[in-house]
Amino acid sequence: MAATHRSNRLVRLDNVGLRYGHGPEILKNVSFRMEAGGFRFLTGPSGAGKTSLLRLLFLALKPTRGMIRLFGEDVAAFDRARLPLLRRRIGVVFQEFRLLDHLTTYDNVALPLRVAGQRESRYRADVMDLLSWVGLADQAWAYPPVLSGGEKQRAAIARAVIGKPELLLADEPTGNVDPALARRLLHLFVELNRLGTTVLIATHDHKLVQQAKAPVLHLERGELRVR
Amino acid sequence: MKGHRPGPIIPARAGSLKSLTVTMAVMCYLACLAIGALILINRAVVNWTGGLAREVTVQVRQLQDADIEAELAKADQLLQSFPGVAGTAILDRDAGAKLLEPWLGNRNLDDLPVPRLIRVVVDAEAPPDYKTLAAALESEVKGASLDTHRRWQAELTRMARALSLLSYAVLLLICVSAIAIVIFATRTVLDANRPVVDVLHLVGAKDSYISRQIDGRFLKTGLWAGLIGVMLGLVTFLLLGLTGPEGAGGVADASRGLLFSAPEIAVWSYSVLLMVPVVATLISLITSRVTLIRMLRDVR
Repeated sequence: MAATHRSNRLVRLDNVGLRYGHGPEILKNVSFRMEAGGFRFLTGPSGAGKTSLLRLLFLALKPTRGMIRLFGEDVAAFDRARLPLLRRRIGVVFQEFRLLDHLTTYDNVALPLRVAGQRESRYRADVMDLLSWVGLADQAWAYPPVLSGGEKQRAAIARAVIGKPELLLADEPTGNVDPALARRLLHLFVELNRLGTTVLIATHDHKLVQQAKAPVLHLERGELRVR
Repeated sequence: MKGHRPGPIIPARAGSLKSLTVTMAVMCYLACLAIGALILINRAVVNWTGGLAREVTVQVRQLQDADIEAELAKADQLLQSFPGVAGTAILDRDAGAKLLEPWLGNRNLDDLPVPRLIRVVVDAEAPPDYKTLAAALESEVKGASLDTHRRWQAELTRMARALSLLSYAVLLLICVSAIAIVIFATRTVLDANRPVVDVLHLVGAKDSYISRQIDGRFLKTGLWAGLIGVMLGLVTFLLLGLTGPEGAGGVADASRGLLFSAPEIAVWSYSVLLMVPVVATLISLITSRVTLIRMLRDVR
């Protein structure tokens, strides 16, 4: 029973601290757990450390202290060669989208599958379905510089979920879309969560939090409280 | 939609390799010149040493109490009966005078006691015992001495070896410079594409995958630069060969010798020159791959 419990624990942080260089500590003694299939929001004012916490979780940063366990393993013990395989199990929506301007929307969304070595003929239908679902079918062959902020946001979300990740981390995923589309995107996240993806969404959008009625992790001055 | 070809992962324009192509082409051109020099030097060494090893000279000095013609005949007879001697030819006075012309000018040498020479061709497979031959000549022929050209041969070989080493050093320097330039260009390309590389890492791309997306461009650059360099090198040798005076034994003759020699030699020369694009491609590909993997390892 205990073993099952451990394997279900997808994310575990114990007393995690983070500072950039010799600056002040951005995150202080952050501890929380997320079971597989969980859904949580991460809230807090600007500069509270939400993005930094997400960066720790998608392994773009190493904590200054404390322990992070992902998928039941201590990330400090991860061999660098294994990082790509681990990252393929995590989908990330970046606040600033980070789409590649020289690739079409279609190629941007297909990127995680392409780098994983899948053939275009195998993923073509899935990518087009997802683009239709997020309302970007007409923009499939457009390049990011000509997309609106909302369209870029949706393309970034589509790229994060195309690989059916076990853990989805989203940084302000509804920041650039209208309320109707925000509800639709939330529905997408809830649907993914229902299919087994663990979801953590960093947001300022209180309405989104109220709609989802999911537990909230609140960060303030680098300290975390569970609501 | 059907047959859609995914766009290049790394944008073609970011971090252009045009200047690398030009620099590498110049390097390959210089490498061709150095290789051409190396081939010519090695061939000259073989000719010199071969020629000198097949011939020796017997000198008979004019002594007061001796009939030089009789001594020459005696020496010639001795030489022809000596094991390892394939043939002899007594040079007449005029031939001897001609050899001295560069130093003494075109003047009458009848009053001078000019030594007479016998050209001796030896069997290269079983040469004579020079020590015994010299002793026999000195004891039986008045004023005779044997010159085996060993000193000349040693000095020429030493000089040729020094020139060869110099050419190898130039080739080595060219390779080292090419490697340094490719490292610099790789860093530039990676820096120009850092945002792309970061995204690729975050969506789960392996270092080897990212490296393959970039180093394909270095492979093309190396190959093109090598081909351009070797073409320019061949054109240079051709121009030198066609425009220079014939039979003067200078650079023009050497260039002609490089390009239009006997088929077996020409095939060897061309093969060595055509190795330049292969080596340039390998340098470009391997250096960029190693640099990329090392740099990507530093990116989390």
